[in-house]
Amino acid sequence: MSDLIGGDRSAGGGPAGDLPEAADRRLTSGAFSSGLTVPDFAACLHMGLRPVGLVQGFCVMQWGWTGQGSIMRGTSPYSTAGRSGSYSEVFRCPHGYVSAEHRSFGQNFDQPWVEQAWAQGFGSAYGRLMEEAGEAGAHGVIGVVDTNRHLADLNVTEFHILGTAVVVEGWDPPPGTPIWTTSLAGQRLGKLLEAGLMPVSVVAAMSSVRVWASCMTEYLMSGQAVTWGQATGTDEVVQISKAHMEVRRLARDQVRGMLGGDSLHGARLDVFERGGEDQVIEAVLRGTRVRRFKDVDPIPVPKPTVSLA
Amino acid sequence: MTDTPDLPKDAGHRLDELKAGLFTSDLSVNEFLLVKEAGFHPLGFVMGSSIYHTGIQTRKWGQSQELTKLTEAMYNARELAMTRMEEEAQELGADGVVGVRLDVNYYEWGSDAAEFIAMGTAVKAEDGTSYLNKKGKPFTSDLSGQDFWTIMQTGYVPQGLVMGTCVYHIAHRGIGQALGTVGQNVELPNFTQALYEARELAMTRMQDESNELGASGIVGVRLEEKSHQWGSHSIEFLALGTAVTKRDGEVTLPRPVTIISMDN
Repeated sequence: MSDLIGGDRSAGGGPAGDLPEAADRRLTSGAFSSGLTVPDFAACLHMGLRPVGLVQGFCVMQWGWTGQGSIMRGTSPYSTAGRSGSYSEVFRCPHGYVSAEHRSFGQNFDQPWVEQAWAQGFGSAYGRLMEEAGEAGAHGVIGVVDTNRHLADLNVTEFHILGTAVVVEGWDPPPGTPIWTTSLAGQRLGKLLEAGLMPVSVVAAMSSVRVWASCMTEYLMSGQAVTWGQATGTDEVVQISKAHMEVRRLARDQVRGMLGGDSLHGARLDVFERGGEDQVIEAVLRGTRVRRFKDVDPIPVPKPTVSLA
Repeated sequence: MTDTPDLPKDAGHRLDELKAGLFTSDLSVNEFLLVKEAGFHPLGFVMGSSIYHTGIQTRKWGQSQELTKLTEAMYNARELAMTRMEEEAQELGADGVVGVRLDVNYYEWGSDAAEFIAMGTAVKAEDGTSYLNKKGKPFTSDLSGQDFWTIMQTGYVPQGLVMGTCVYHIAHRGIGQALGTVGQNVELPNFTQALYEARELAMTRMQDESNELGASGIVGVRLEEKSHQWGSHSIEFLALGTAVTKRDGEVTLPRPVTIISMDN
């Protein structure tokens, strides 16, 4: 299996030949398989796309949330991320010295080691999907879906990506043409093409921000109305708000870096929180990198219809 | 009265009533109308069941491996249920069964025993054309009425609900292995390979079934994963889909028209 690490995800995977034996046999058996729904399958035929096989990729990663460097980074208020576009911010206590237990500072910082591990898991699984697509002789892969989940009771996470490999009828691309991929299928893919845009590749990135709560964040999150003479009943929890804004920005910045001047279509941003006052906030941004290949067709004149469904 | 010895007596009585013209179906009204529009008439609700003792297979604590006895048990049990459902459909003179659902139920009274149930609506072509598959049996399909109509318009005909299964034991990690990678986010290639192999085996077995039916493809493939009652380290990977064959005749599906919905 190849070890395509995130970033160059439109390149089409690494060296082939180490897929499971069963995959080789399945992809060369002649009959096609398709994970598309029947309406998407029918739409695919109308667009001149012929399904050649359901393709997939996996990667099982050991998943430790505190990677190397996190302890220093987390406890020192002066640590900086040391890379462009990263995020680290200190939130100071307004009360002065109170006690050793008092949270005299808090900090938000991004966790590149978690982001890189996610990129490695996703990138490896994606690379294997591309190997299978290459093996099936595909021009593109549509309806790409990715999931990741915790496996059994082990401290491991499994990345799984699957899609339907297709051949464009009547198209004979020159050797070396990259296989295009998209999470779209059916009517959404049809509308994209009508809009004069073609899919280039699936893009996805994850960002992770750790929050060590300051005293004010701790009080606000625990719902204490008045602390040290300051009203904290209804107020913005600035540290958490900033963490949410930054985790989204970091995910967007990563994806923007993958677009190479193209556009992002069908973006989906999922945000997860783990923990209470001290928490980890993660964002995963997925979408399809698209490129214009013709002018947009005018959309039909709207015609009201009444659905009986 | 039915002459299929494998089916219960009451099934024979029920099927005799259906043969007299009454039909039952679990199709929704829209599905019923579209099945009729596709040129088929529902004959009756058919089902098959098998209560199967799935047994025990020893597994090595630290080794990922296929549990072949459990794989065979899960396979045979579903096949028995499907075959009995097909027999009911054959009794009715059906060309096929649409909307097939395959369920597994566990009961308190039977540890290690599970009931496998297959059910769907038997249909017959109204113009007398035979749609029996290569094995001379009614086709089966998990397609809804809407999907059945759509696939028929594309010139493809269902051949059978095909499946492949693989029960796999995922190794526990030893202390040495865990310590070797402590605190790191790294790929565990042995686990990747094992799970990859398990799913590919399930999918290959599904494709082997479709090849036996002479199908040109499988649509609507689903990959399901369940641990049933074996604990979290033993997982069944089940691949399911409807095998289809391209039939002579033109594609009658109207060209889709772009609709921009004013709903959200």
